[in-house]
Amino acid sequence: MPSQPPLPPLLTSYLSSQPESSLTLISSILGATSNWLVLRYLYSALSTSNSSNAAIGFDESHNGAKKVVLVSFLRGWEFWRAEAKRLGLDLARLSDKKQFAFVDGLSELFCPPQTANAAPSPSPISAGFPARTTIPLRGPPGAVPGRAPVSALPALRNDNVARSPAELGVAKKLHFSGRGTAALDALEKDIIAVIEQLKAANDESEEVLLIIDQPDFLLAATGASMGIGATEMSEWVMGLQQTVHTTALTVAADSPLIHNAAASGNQQSTPVEGEHAAFAIGLAHRASSVMQLRTLETGAARDVSGVLRISRGGGLSGANGLDEKELLYYIQRDGSVKVFGRGES
Amino acid sequence: MAPVNLSHRRTHNLLLISKLLNLRDTASPLTLLLDSLEQPATPLIQEYIRRAKLSKVHVTLVAFETVKRPDGCDAIVYTRRKTPAEIIKEVTAAYQPVASAGPSKRRLIIIDAINPLLSSRTVDPNFHLPSFLGAFITPTKPAALKSDASLVVTYHQDIPGFPPQNPYLPSPFSVLNYLATSIITLHSFSHILAQKAARDRSLAAPVFGLEEEQDGVLLGRLDKLVGTGAAEGIVLELEHRRKSGRGVLEWYLLPPASRYSANHVKEIVTLLDDNILYNPPMESAYGADEEPQSTFELGLTDRQRRDREGVVLPYFDAQHGDGPGEGGRILYDMGEEDDFDEEEDEI
Amino acid sequence: MSFRKRNIGLSAGVDRAAIPNASAQPTPPESIPGIRPSPDDGRPTTSTGTPSLDGLLAGHAGLPMGKILLIEENGTTDFAGALLRYYAAEGVVQEQKIHVVGVPEQWGRSLPGLIGTAESLEKRSDKRKDERMKIAWRYERLGEFGAGIAGSRDAPTPTGDTDAASKQAAFCHAFDLTKRLAHPSITNMTFIPLVPSRGSPFVAILKRLQDAVTSAGPNTIHRIVIPSLLNPTMYPPDACQPEYVLQFLHSLKALMSAHATRITAMVTLPLSLFPRSSGLVRWIELLSDGVIELCPFPHSADALATSGAATSQEEPPQGMLKTHRIPVLHERGGGSDQNVGQDWAFNLSRRRFEIKPFSLPPAEGDKEAQDAPASSGMPKKADLEF
Repeated sequence: MPSQPPLPPLLTSYLSSQPESSLTLISSILGATSNWLVLRYLYSALSTSNSSNAAIGFDESHNGAKKVVLVSFLRGWEFWRAEAKRLGLDLARLSDKKQFAFVDGLSELFCPPQTANAAPSPSPISAGFPARTTIPLRGPPGAVPGRAPVSALPALRNDNVARSPAELGVAKKLHFSGRGTAALDALEKDIIAVIEQLKAANDESEEVLLIIDQPDFLLAATGASMGIGATEMSEWVMGLQQTVHTTALTVAADSPLIHNAAASGNQQSTPVEGEHAAFAIGLAHRASSVMQLRTLETGAARDVSGVLRISRGGGLSGANGLDEKELLYYIQRDGSVKVFGRGES
Repeated sequence: MAPVNLSHRRTHNLLLISKLLNLRDTASPLTLLLDSLEQPATPLIQEYIRRAKLSKVHVTLVAFETVKRPDGCDAIVYTRRKTPAEIIKEVTAAYQPVASAGPSKRRLIIIDAINPLLSSRTVDPNFHLPSFLGAFITPTKPAALKSDASLVVTYHQDIPGFPPQNPYLPSPFSVLNYLATSIITLHSFSHILAQKAARDRSLAAPVFGLEEEQDGVLLGRLDKLVGTGAAEGIVLELEHRRKSGRGVLEWYLLPPASRYSANHVKEIVTLLDDNILYNPPMESAYGADEEPQSTFELGLTDRQRRDREGVVLPYFDAQHGDGPGEGGRILYDMGEEDDFDEEEDEI
Repeated sequence: MSFRKRNIGLSAGVDRAAIPNASAQPTPPESIPGIRPSPDDGRPTTSTGTPSLDGLLAGHAGLPMGKILLIEENGTTDFAGALLRYYAAEGVVQEQKIHVVGVPEQWGRSLPGLIGTAESLEKRSDKRKDERMKIAWRYERLGEFGAGIAGSRDAPTPTGDTDAASKQAAFCHAFDLTKRLAHPSITNMTFIPLVPSRGSPFVAILKRLQDAVTSAGPNTIHRIVIPSLLNPTMYPPDACQPEYVLQFLHSLKALMSAHATRITAMVTLPLSLFPRSSGLVRWIELLSDGVIELCPFPHSADALATSGAATSQEEPPQGMLKTHRIPVLHERGGGSDQNVGQDWAFNLSRRRFEIKPFSLPPAEGDKEAQDAPASSGMPKKADLEF
């Protein structure tokens, strides 16, 4: 099968041009996750050329490449690194160059790290990726990077590495402690510190794109009893939004999380549902564009993974020129994505 | 509806909306905009700001959800992590009327979304919404020159609220509704058209966006809705309470901003009933007794009609038979136009 | 697209292994029993103890390491518990470390007994199938077709042929629910009780899991078994507070991603207590890598006992199975796998839990269905006449 370009042509214009201080909301559901779209955002912001075979970062004086901070609450560094590699993005290298920073909201968010004097935990990385030596790993052109197997076992690893190479790419691990806005402020401070580091790195481009993957989880897992509600979360997002050029967020838009509360009879809805609906819908009101992912209503199809609907959000800084569209997409086995209109293929 | 009535309504209500949008005579100190994801209030707020600029009104945006100052806005007050009292203080400070500027300048205060404030957990439980809103309209500082302030508050209807602490208190939404002097509910024109089309066919009205209750759908709005063509614009459903106590209810259409220049002064809002897409002019209104037009001539001339009346139908006579066995005969007189063949046909 | 070789994505694991890229993968010098690279992309996988469930997992022919599989069950039956026991028993046989949360040690004594490798059972049933086909010659083609589907789906035999497989350690075993597992490494199971505490009841559990995983050697493979999460007979009432259970699952996910090649977990959740339409359950699902829902048929109905079976000799299905999320596949973004969205039926017999495509009963069942309304229609007419 012909290989798909890393950026589907139909999406290029949506991914690349966001007005200043705009907010893009990506909504996903259980059966149609947003990771592939986030990866396309990363690619669109970080890659230097459109030809997928060009080694990324070869040209040091490139233009247009933005800086990206990715905050992920549900997926670890290993996932993002491996999946970006399939697209030809070497995130570890980019973070060395201070062009990219990963903020880990998964590993130690609610469980503080084991006591420091304990033996370093066995290397979490899978040895399928050879340890990075002084020369950054760069696959030969034409190799499908995503095929790098993750097979070998940690038995191969020597446990003496104090800080495994995999963790080098992680700029910060978030810890949640305390309650209410104080806890959120601490997280915000950590993230802003990373953003400022990235900004401080000498480079002419000051545009930082902030991607927060599923901040709604933070809301669900803390909730009202910890003094955090939709308003507090929205303010948290706004605080971060003010420090960067553009922001993209992913939230879950599953029916139980949105409609139980948004429907007229909101008596039965639980606080998790109510807060989530208020947060997600509130974000859509603020967003300049909303990208909604869902599965086909007619059931699964062999060559369609889901539907992507692109709409204008309610935000004042809205992209008025945005062309609203509904497209189908198909994730192929090698991770590449085909995007097409209904009735096309 | 009698045409006279309509034209009367048109003049009156267009004057009213024009007064409201231009903030003339503080016709409405507190305007509540009820919007939803299907039709955000953004274009209407931009229209407010545009008109305010034309008439040199000072515009303050109280930003609960806006990050960047919109064009034409004189001051923006960020509300993040601020108590209501601090917000009021900052908004008051944002505009210092110059004492010597002659007539007191009017000012417009826009709250881009009141929902975050209503569902905030950090706000003091004794927060009192009426006095918070009142403080904007009538500043407590007596020294300040009396400036006519109009307050425009947006409330997102689709964001779920939370049960109040005190179950006997009215919900904040009811309070807002009660306090507001005019309430504008926003609808998408294409949705209104789709719903009207369904109503005309006695079908269930279609729902859009969140109301579809479909997994993964937050917004249903798409530029090209099936069957509505290029129906652009926003439908405003206005409910205005006059000082006299009378209420006015009217539906308007605000065309999209691309249809007129930023300096356009004449009123652009029209009545929804005057829209040609919503209320297509009916042909039958002009000539009720005209026959439907067709390529076939279905009418009869006078002579043809007379002939038709003179035709005696075959069984006509048989109905009053003279005796048993007499009824039921077919009485038919052969005419010259009958093509009768002696050899083949027998009666 | 037109040049795509259509078969590739649809065939069994054997074909996938032939993809050149997969052959380039470094073979682990020291193979750990019970772990094998996925025929799809080479990531390490382990068996769930149920061959047909392994086959359902998007071409990986096993549960990829580092992933959480959530099994939800409607009603009051305990099919999910059977799957969980197979999973634990498979871990015992593979000498992995099993951590069972919240149930007493008797649970470990009720694991099904080992009766051989999965292939041996498969062979036996194939033989039976052959005999049957001679009888029902009319359905021979149909039978072959069905066997082909079943073979590719529920028994993705290891990449090697049989003699190679016999040389290798078996990946998946067969168990008998009526027997009890007796295996030297059954002592490898630890039971983590729920201790009453103030605050989150999960903190202590998580601590023990973390300690166990970090203190064990790097060669130890762990299985975390969480039966009937949030079941009120085991868990305190405030366990279902989102800040407790969601934080626990998130930390579990963190633990598993930190040791991504050494742990798998299987969780079951009673849907009759926590319906899928609630936001909390949806978050539990979103935190899991795989979500499978079991909808058992009501047992009393005799009519159902005959329906759904392709032939009368086949065991009738006992319920429907829905796949809502598949590990790895959905993390990448989409359900392009042929297994997603299909109707599955499951059948639990003494020796195996079988998942196969659900098909509506053929004519036999229809006849009954036609008869039923006719007979019910007759008395109505009689009633009308006075």
